[in-house]
Amino acid sequence: MAAQANHVPRLPGYPEELERAENDIVALEARLECQPADLEKRVRRAYRLFHRASLTGIMVHFEAVEAAISETILKFGPKEDLCLLKANLDFRFHRVAEVRRDLEMCPRLAGRFEGRTLLADLDFQEGHYAGARAALEALIDENCTWDNLARLAHWKGKLGGIAEADRLYQEAEDLLTAKQMRSYTWLELQRGMLAFRRGDYAQARMHYERADKAYPCYWHTDEHFAELLAAEGRFEEAEALLQKVIARTDKPELQQALGELYLFTGRPQYAEPWLDRALKTYLESVRRGDVHYFHHLADFYSDARRQSGEAVKWAQKDIEMRSNFSTQATMAWALYNDGQLPRALEYIRLALSSGVQEAGIFSMAATLFDAAGENAKSQSYAQAASQINAKHRNFHMHH
Amino acid sequence: MADHNDPNAVNHIFSDIDYTPADLYDLFGWPVGDGSRVVFALTFASAPAAGVLDADLLYRLLMTSHPRVAWPNARDISLDSALGYFDAVKDKYLGELKTAEIRITVQTPSRVAIKFLGFPGGNFSSALDVNKVVAIPTPDGQTIQAFVGGRDDAFFNDLTGFFRSINYAPQFYHVPHTMTEARELPIPKTLLELEGNDLFNYRPDMPKWGYTQPDGTTPKLDLPPGPWTWTGNKFKKDAAGNFRFVYDGRDCRAGQNCNAIILELPHSFITPETAKNRLVNAWGESWVRKAVHKVESIPDDPSWVKHPWRAIRDRELEDDELKNYKLVDTDGQPFADAALSEREDDRQLGANNFWLGPHFIKRLAHLGWGFAPSITALGLKSSFDHDNSTVSVYKTYDLVATAFPRVAKTLFQQLNMPDDSWNPKGLPIPLRRPFEIFIPNVCAVDMDTSGTWPFGRRLEDQVATRFLSMFLDMEAEWNGKKYHIDMLGSQALWDAVPIVPKTPPNPLKNDKEFLDQFPYLAEPWPENW
Repeated sequence: MAAQANHVPRLPGYPEELERAENDIVALEARLECQPADLEKRVRRAYRLFHRASLTGIMVHFEAVEAAISETILKFGPKEDLCLLKANLDFRFHRVAEVRRDLEMCPRLAGRFEGRTLLADLDFQEGHYAGARAALEALIDENCTWDNLARLAHWKGKLGGIAEADRLYQEAEDLLTAKQMRSYTWLELQRGMLAFRRGDYAQARMHYERADKAYPCYWHTDEHFAELLAAEGRFEEAEALLQKVIARTDKPELQQALGELYLFTGRPQYAEPWLDRALKTYLESVRRGDVHYFHHLADFYSDARRQSGEAVKWAQKDIEMRSNFSTQATMAWALYNDGQLPRALEYIRLALSSGVQEAGIFSMAATLFDAAGENAKSQSYAQAASQINAKHRNFHMHH
Repeated sequence: MADHNDPNAVNHIFSDIDYTPADLYDLFGWPVGDGSRVVFALTFASAPAAGVLDADLLYRLLMTSHPRVAWPNARDISLDSALGYFDAVKDKYLGELKTAEIRITVQTPSRVAIKFLGFPGGNFSSALDVNKVVAIPTPDGQTIQAFVGGRDDAFFNDLTGFFRSINYAPQFYHVPHTMTEARELPIPKTLLELEGNDLFNYRPDMPKWGYTQPDGTTPKLDLPPGPWTWTGNKFKKDAAGNFRFVYDGRDCRAGQNCNAIILELPHSFITPETAKNRLVNAWGESWVRKAVHKVESIPDDPSWVKHPWRAIRDRELEDDELKNYKLVDTDGQPFADAALSEREDDRQLGANNFWLGPHFIKRLAHLGWGFAPSITALGLKSSFDHDNSTVSVYKTYDLVATAFPRVAKTLFQQLNMPDDSWNPKGLPIPLRRPFEIFIPNVCAVDMDTSGTWPFGRRLEDQVATRFLSMFLDMEAEWNGKKYHIDMLGSQALWDAVPIVPKTPPNPLKNDKEFLDQFPYLAEPWPENW
């Protein structure tokens, strides 16, 4: 967002960290040229590649990580740190079954602190909420790390109390040092999202600005600013910012967001090229065997381009991998659009039974119950949605 | 790097962890000017470079001066008296003891602010350029010599030998960070190689194995799948009947730099009652700025996560400046972490390590079962009761009560000095005992001595070898002389026992001559960056 005043010296941020990561990769690769059998350097290189990919979000960078891991495991066998990295990578791309296989490649990995953390993440993704919470609380009792506090905050933000979630994020921030400013910024963005989802745009902006100041020039922060601007009705600014972020990252989900912004503002002619680009990337990914865009495809066909049969198809694929309130609600919406109201009601009831507290899901429930003639329930959920976020019908992105 | 069991998060001597300026190496302290002034030198990793400091760091040197007190229960060697001592230390450090502080905050990579807090003459502050000797006038008209900047690392030690002695796998093998059980492997700790200990015994085909090279790399092997145990029953001997020493006496820190905070203070600046308060206790701390305070004018008041040890640091929590930082490392006694904390992050307590007293007893017993049989195999006598075991034993303890009888003598014996030079005034100063040395974890400078370890710590002290001498029986004699803390540094001893290589375990002197005047530590080595 580059919102910093000119006279304030800028802190090091995204460009500096990316440069360091790239320099490290170059140095490690030079060393590996001379000593190809140096396992420690190979592992370090894989982690650095993951670091770079996490920074840029660029798919080619993630593919480089995957290749480095596979090559090293092939040559040296399944080492714990490599399998852990692979499990993290697979989790990031929704390859739930593979995460479990990765953790089982080394006999004790699933029982390690890091392995148990990933299993708690899996529990949440698979809808085992109580198990996820208990596991996270146990991990925090054992060793109170910032990232597990953030995981518990995420749990609370979705299923518990927003105030408690914010408190936990704040506690996590307190554990970070000045050497971890990107993590601090990520936490600020989560706090901003909590506020955004309550419709408190001023508070969200405050957190996003703080994030930008702490770790400047980060596209991920700009992505949040763009969503906020759009929600505030500052469409031109949002559009310009989204275009900038897309130019930096080429992420299809942002291309879809820009297309949806054009649709939202009644300019479908501008939307189509962006939606085409996004869809092309989604489908290419699926053809390669990837699964992480199933959710986006379901949303895409439900909202951006109404093809309800396709939406149901992709939602079904997603829910087969990970059945949670999010995939269940997506399925419910796809089925509703496809005219399958009874099944849609089954899924929305399932999603609501999780205890999720999201205005978007409550609003969807209100629509579905209204269609089913359950007026009291519909009104109740409509009210609940407004209580959580009176502005929930404003523009928002699919995160 | 005597403090080589630092918290895992910051310790860079393990070759897979980056250098960080929060990694404290050593705290040296000794009297000068016939006991009228005291020098303290706190050394730490030279990141980003020797002579260049990290602006997110804050360093503290805490000190207190009080009378020398003789151990009142000289003949009472019991668990109760040891635990009573730990309690008394706790009461003292939580109670009446008033600690003064020198706080250094890095303003820019080449300039620091230095604050003197809680000294009798009142609080004051100054600013210094790094890499320059500066005379700081005090409010009461005295002068403090100060130097902050790059120096040659004053620590000289065969670190790889030490890691071999404790079967520390990450120095020799690729050990993933997740595998916490694969650090100190469950093999007897030992000074002599064990027959069939293929995981750690010296390999002639790989002379560089486990030794950090000038380019910063450390040749390592893949960790075999295990079990990582040892099933032998004797020490290894060569055809000539010689044991194989796990040390070879090389200086693993040769040619390496550090950054340092060096201060020479008048004793009368620390206490108005210099004649009475002959001890100056000090410890160092490193703190890293919190992320939340890196960005100015952030209004949130972060909630404090309560950890047990933080409860005893309430005064620090009330300190507006310290609230902005996070404690990372502490340093008082060399090898206190090896003996006590095993590098656990949450055991970085500084002087407040009295909580770890019972753990100290169990850990010392564990080390004793490893080192003591090595000592007796060489024909020397040990202070540790190992039932005359002919070989090192791997044994851990759950209960202090069962560990204590084994380690009682090691804990309570007075450590003999090699000669009288440590006590130039010939005063009736009692020799120190291990339990007093390590708890509290402070550098305790006796202003009437030379300040050689354990009466302080002089730059030239070979503290790693002196640490091992705790396991010698100080009542025994060798060549007509009582065992003493420098005996294991004597070449004559190693010439006389059946061992190869015939060398003291650690180098006898630093790779660079120390200076005979302030700032005492040698100039840094040229660096490439």
